[in-house]
Amino acid sequence: MNFKPFFPAGALALCLATTAALADETVIGYIKTVQGDAMVVATGHSVKAVPGTPVKATDVLKTGKASSLGITLSDNTLLSIGPDTEFVVDEYLFNPSQDELKLGASLGKGSLNYVSGMIAKLKPSAVSVRTPTGTIGVRGTHFVALVVPD
Amino acid sequence: MAWKHIIPTVTMRSWLLASVLLLSLTGCAKNYVVLLPDENGALGKVMVTSSQGQVLLDQKNQGAFIGGSRSDTFTLSEEKLQATFGAALAASPKKPVSYLLYFETGQAVLTEASQSEIPKIKEDISQRPGVDVAVIGHTDTKGTASANYALGLSRAKQVLALIRDAGVSTERLSVESHGEKNLLVATPDDTDEPRNRRVEVIVR
Repeated sequence: MNFKPFFPAGALALCLATTAALADETVIGYIKTVQGDAMVVATGHSVKAVPGTPVKATDVLKTGKASSLGITLSDNTLLSIGPDTEFVVDEYLFNPSQDELKLGASLGKGSLNYVSGMIAKLKPSAVSVRTPTGTIGVRGTHFVALVVPD
Repeated sequence: MAWKHIIPTVTMRSWLLASVLLLSLTGCAKNYVVLLPDENGALGKVMVTSSQGQVLLDQKNQGAFIGGSRSDTFTLSEEKLQATFGAALAASPKKPVSYLLYFETGQAVLTEASQSEIPKIKEDISQRPGVDVAVIGHTDTKGTASANYALGLSRAKQVLALIRDAGVSTERLSVESHGEKNLLVATPDDTDEPRNRRVEVIVR
């Protein structure tokens, strides 16, 4: 695929560097809604997002102009992004019986709509969304965030 | 530049002007977060942490810049919310639904009432694009833990057989048993409890 990010990938990579070691092959959710051009970019390859596309931790979700995408995670968290957005769930643990709960994501640029799931309900401190200028901590429910690229 | 594709309208010009003014007032801060009510109108909280410190949001449509010199908060109008986040909001997936199906004692046989729930579940599954389904079997505490693990699994498989022609792709179907380890109603060991003899079907 010839899908070149015009957003400086280095900046995003920097945000993720601390947690990339946790990447594994577990599917954390599935794409549910797609408008226009949306991609799921994994190390070395990318696929066009369609409803049903599996998403793993560290996969980068990207949308083009006039495009959007929505994903439901296995803890019932709903995440959706608007146009020209780069978003990644870089840490995800959902194992309530072992008290292993973590949802760490990064919004590199663009718009995000977040509706909380079980992880935020069981352990609010385990949820955070990083942006290039600061971190959003979630104490339940619903927010939107915008990151404007430099 | 992206702007050349946009035919400026009066509204857009004033929005641009407002944005420029806002930016000039806020230094370099342009990233922001806005707290919204959930579907039942309840509000959570959001804490924004940056090198400039922390800001707590706990009011409807209350927003804060992330980083930058401004530490006060603002209220985002519904109009601006739609203008900026309309696409992301519209892309939000349908909320997952959990169904509970109940079983006769000691068996993988659905109660009559639960059997009649199956068409509703299949209908829901068939209407969700990219649907994924988790089927989780549970038992009461009657009998041994290992027998109950097996019973939970056979209950889950029983339900799976009833819903699998609704149109879920196999790789998006998961089946598991929690045996007697995840009681809906807390009971002592070796207790017959109909509400614990259940299969949970989560349709996402």
